[in-house]
Amino acid sequence: MDFSHASNYSNRELSWLLFNQRVLGEAKDRKNPLFERLKFLGITASNLDEFFMVRVATLKDMVGAGMKRTDISGKTPDEQLKEINLAVHKQVKQQYNTYNRSLLPGLKQNNLRFIEKHEDLTAKEAAYVDRYFMESVYPVLTPMAVDSSRPFPLVRNRSCNIGALIKAKARSEEPEFATVQVPSLLSRIVTLPATEITTVILLEEIIERNIDKLFLNYDIICAQHFRIMRNADLNIEEDETEDLLEEIEKQLKMRQWGEAIRLEVEAGIDERLLKIITDELNLDKEDIFFVDGPLDLTFLMKMYNLPGFDALKETAYRKPVPVPGFSTGTDIFAKIRAGDILLHHPYQDFSPVVEFVRQAASCPSVLAIKQTLYRVSGNSPIIASLAEAAENGKQVTVLVELKARFDEENNIVWAKKLEQAGCHVIYGLVGLKTHSKITLVVRREEDSIRRYVHLGTGNYNDATAKFYTDLGLLTCQAAMGEDATAVFNMLSGYSEPLNWNKLSLAPLWLKDRFLYLIDRERRNAAAGRPAYIIAKVNSLCDKDIIEALYRAAFAGAKIDLIVRGACCLITGIKELNNRITVRSIIGNFLEHSRIFYFENDGNPEYYAGSADLMPRNLERRVEILFPVEQPDLIERLEFIFAALLADTVKAHILTGKGTYEKVDKRGKKILNSQLEFGRNAATFTNKKVSPERKNSRVFIPQKEGNL
Amino acid sequence: MAVKTFAAIDVGSYEISMKIYEISPKHGMREIDHLRRSIDMGTDTYTTGKLSYERVDELCRILKEFRTFMDGYKVVGYQAYGTSAFREAENAVILLDQINTRTGIRIVILSNSEQRFFHYKAVAFKEEIFTGTIKSGAAIIDIGSGSIQISLFEDDTLVSTQNLRLGVLRLREHLTHLDVVPSQYEALLNEIIDSQLRVYKKLYLNETYKNVIIVDDYISAIIIKRQKKAAKGKSNKLMLEELLHACNTTPISELARILDVPEENIILLQISGTLLLRIMEMVGAEFIWAPGTTLCDGVAYDYAEKQKIIKPSHDFEQDIITCTRNISKRYRGSKRRGDTMEMISLTIFDSLKKIHGMGKRERLLLRLSALLHDCGKYISIVNLPECSYGIVMATEIIGISEAEQIIIANIVKYNHQDFDYFDHFAEQDELDRTSYLIVAKLTAILRVANGLDRSNRQKVHDIKAALKENELILTIDTDKDIALEKGLFEYSSNFFEEVFSIRPTIKRRDFLSQHKYAD
Repeated sequence: MDFSHASNYSNRELSWLLFNQRVLGEAKDRKNPLFERLKFLGITASNLDEFFMVRVATLKDMVGAGMKRTDISGKTPDEQLKEINLAVHKQVKQQYNTYNRSLLPGLKQNNLRFIEKHEDLTAKEAAYVDRYFMESVYPVLTPMAVDSSRPFPLVRNRSCNIGALIKAKARSEEPEFATVQVPSLLSRIVTLPATEITTVILLEEIIERNIDKLFLNYDIICAQHFRIMRNADLNIEEDETEDLLEEIEKQLKMRQWGEAIRLEVEAGIDERLLKIITDELNLDKEDIFFVDGPLDLTFLMKMYNLPGFDALKETAYRKPVPVPGFSTGTDIFAKIRAGDILLHHPYQDFSPVVEFVRQAASCPSVLAIKQTLYRVSGNSPIIASLAEAAENGKQVTVLVELKARFDEENNIVWAKKLEQAGCHVIYGLVGLKTHSKITLVVRREEDSIRRYVHLGTGNYNDATAKFYTDLGLLTCQAAMGEDATAVFNMLSGYSEPLNWNKLSLAPLWLKDRFLYLIDRERRNAAAGRPAYIIAKVNSLCDKDIIEALYRAAFAGAKIDLIVRGACCLITGIKELNNRITVRSIIGNFLEHSRIFYFENDGNPEYYAGSADLMPRNLERRVEILFPVEQPDLIERLEFIFAALLADTVKAHILTGKGTYEKVDKRGKKILNSQLEFGRNAATFTNKKVSPERKNSRVFIPQKEGNL
Repeated sequence: MAVKTFAAIDVGSYEISMKIYEISPKHGMREIDHLRRSIDMGTDTYTTGKLSYERVDELCRILKEFRTFMDGYKVVGYQAYGTSAFREAENAVILLDQINTRTGIRIVILSNSEQRFFHYKAVAFKEEIFTGTIKSGAAIIDIGSGSIQISLFEDDTLVSTQNLRLGVLRLREHLTHLDVVPSQYEALLNEIIDSQLRVYKKLYLNETYKNVIIVDDYISAIIIKRQKKAAKGKSNKLMLEELLHACNTTPISELARILDVPEENIILLQISGTLLLRIMEMVGAEFIWAPGTTLCDGVAYDYAEKQKIIKPSHDFEQDIITCTRNISKRYRGSKRRGDTMEMISLTIFDSLKKIHGMGKRERLLLRLSALLHDCGKYISIVNLPECSYGIVMATEIIGISEAEQIIIANIVKYNHQDFDYFDHFAEQDELDRTSYLIVAKLTAILRVANGLDRSNRQKVHDIKAALKENELILTIDTDKDIALEKGLFEYSSNFFEEVFSIRPTIKRRDFLSQHKYAD
């Protein structure tokens, strides 16, 4: 049976839009507390922004270059763009419907007055905002007018702007175009002086109200909001770049100048104004989004933090609990020596990881610390510890991935700081992004050198660790230590070791490894042995992997996939007899861990890693997959998989028609897996490791006395 | 602290590598890090005879990085060795000094025999399998880029070792110059290899050897992967034949994928495999063991042994001696004569420890000189000194450095001819002051031994040496007439006295008194 035909796959971007639709579903869901719904809506907006800047931009580039190559589902770039456009327009409409019909009334009911139009301000409020404008806003504004001697100004990527048509009072010439950027340094949400109810207004309304003060001697014909998005995919010619650091700094500045690919304007915008902007930015009609409400809904994520509305937020989810057995002052190395430790964030707190690096930095026996950093939080304690370690004379090697999208600027700052402290900083690898999350601590102990390793599915970011679900493994198994050393040697430009023990690396052979593991299930199924795969990833887009999954299922293997985002695999193929299921969990926390289960004929194998099943992860990134082998940790993973597959609250099932539907709860226990994990985080302990593996293939003969 | 860390650096022709080890009496030696980086030093040297500035610059950069790793691991010592790319570079001495100044790392150039000895030591470090393997007869095939080394084991000891110019890169060069298509490679390779092996077989091979131990950079890795699955951790000839067959019938890109080897290495792998198979056929071997060890392992093992942290169960010195005995045998040296010379000279050496101030290594050189003391007579009895010197210089003795080889050659030479003083050597730039003194002292001892067996009839059964003030009394146990020895002893003792300021005298052990004491 041949599964390679394009009709067996769905388009990645359209599938991703379905994911955003599911998030939007959470914003619409009246069962969610109001402020959570605000946040979800904000997330959909932010997601779409990124989607445009990267995915749509790439497709536009492809169309521009005349590329006709079809994607996994057989669509040309042009066809994809058309479908995406339709879908996005529909989605944006739904965003604003939700905002206007559901959320705004909700706010009103809950004593939050959101002033949509400055015209609605009371006289007293108006006086306040005008004073606020003159004191705090006016000084930072840079109004710019366009005429024959002044060219069209740079409109920055993702900024909100107010465009106006103005006419000199003295003369009666043609109106001129003028624009002013809503300053991003000031809070977009302005809270008005306290009355009995909280009252807020958006900054752009305040500016619009006072726009005449910017263009004295001019009549304002109209003033309206607009926002543009530019192609932001950095295009770095690494081979020709001497200094990657400098090049990225340069490109970041260029990002502001990328080609405009999307324009958002207020519905009912003045035709003349719109024409000036679209002509100047060279935009097509379908790139224009007329929105019925404020531009850029990401401000809703900020709104979430308005004080006084805790009752409208989700409280069922517990705060991260300490990992059992860990308290301040725990000797982390002794703890790891007692057995591997599995960390489940954000249910369990991230502090053991921070502590791991911190203790390593000050421990006199530690010789070296090596770590890969992809996205780091502001003011990261890990960075501080690494710097301290270098100052303490330890050998510190840090790979800072400068190419981490949208974090480039951030990462440059850290990288320089670490270098100053004496760390050996590697700025990524030519042609590859280092996405793996691994830390190695080399320690000289009583009778030998011992290596401690942390491997994770998520970034070393203590801030995101509070709302991303991730797994981490702390171990001092010699085989893992050896592999970790080899990984860092390779990242430092040394040759591959002659032997690997446990880790699988992309782009080297991780994909082959996955294909092998999947095919092993296929062979087992074909031979009538039990065959079962569970995989939890963020995206599943690699054609070879999907095809292998189809073949395994065709042979009889059962496959349960938990894919949060884009999934190019479809479930409606008749010959597979529903043996593949796909579910997506959109919960309060962002599902982020990548974990895998392979039945292996009754001798199951569990893995976790940094890689999604996408071509870019498997072929153009450095990723690590690691096995979890300790019986008590396997038990944890069994529990995690079981809960994810039994989730009836936040899970969406991919139907044969290509749509996602919430689980039919009839006859099922109500179960929210993320709540469940929170409840269980404290009770799971790292039990004493029993010497025999649960699924050992060694038979244990019954002793005579026991009969 | 009980655990020590040590770094071994190997500056090879195409790769520079460093291994870090932890060494402790309790756990022995354990590799904890291995860094490898490709750097083409070979092409420079092999084509122009010199290493270029750019290469050395690159080398220094890598060595500086190594230095930070060494500091990170807080190593207590390191040993950096350069092999053929340095050995054959005319400007090596200048460059080594430059590298030392720039990186703080002192690279020592290894002679081929030292290099092979380290390889061999590395293999022997895997004691369990090694001991088992050599018991049933084994040949170590050490395949390098320029040459290969075949070392033969019988009954636990190394009996011979021979260098052949059949290195993989050299063979690849041949193939590319021949302007042939890849399908012809196999036949051509066999032809080139066989022509050299035939000579080797005729001269050196008498027995068959069941096992081969392979040390190389290409085929080993493949064999290691397979032998993990095989019983007893060994592969056999059939596996190799199958592999080579696959090499000849599968497209290179496909092979590279299956074997997980870069495409450019496939041809080298094929050459390495073919060499191995031809040699296996020649020595009659059935089994292959690839220990996967490198020069660095041998270097670290050697260090641990010298620091007395590890006590090897295998006697490496014995290997050197056995090999030397076999060299002596090849030049028709008498075993009994050699043994007698060895016995006498070592007795004298040991009795004079306080006087001569020399150590274990010099003692070994004396032994080897004693064994080879008259090898030149195979060529010419008249020109004995020069011929002996020539033979030693032209023969590779495993485990012996070039400097040591020169010392032995001079000792055997001056054993038979008047000694030259330092100015003579200084003029020829052959020996430095320290080596010169070693030559003088050991020659003096060997000459006395020679004098005591003047007749070449091994009259001395046993000898005792006792130092009494300025006299070395040599009590000889013999039942034969030693008039000749006594009469001509003057000649050899003069030089001895000159060197040590001690007069040797011969005393014959009294038969009667011997019996008296026995009662």
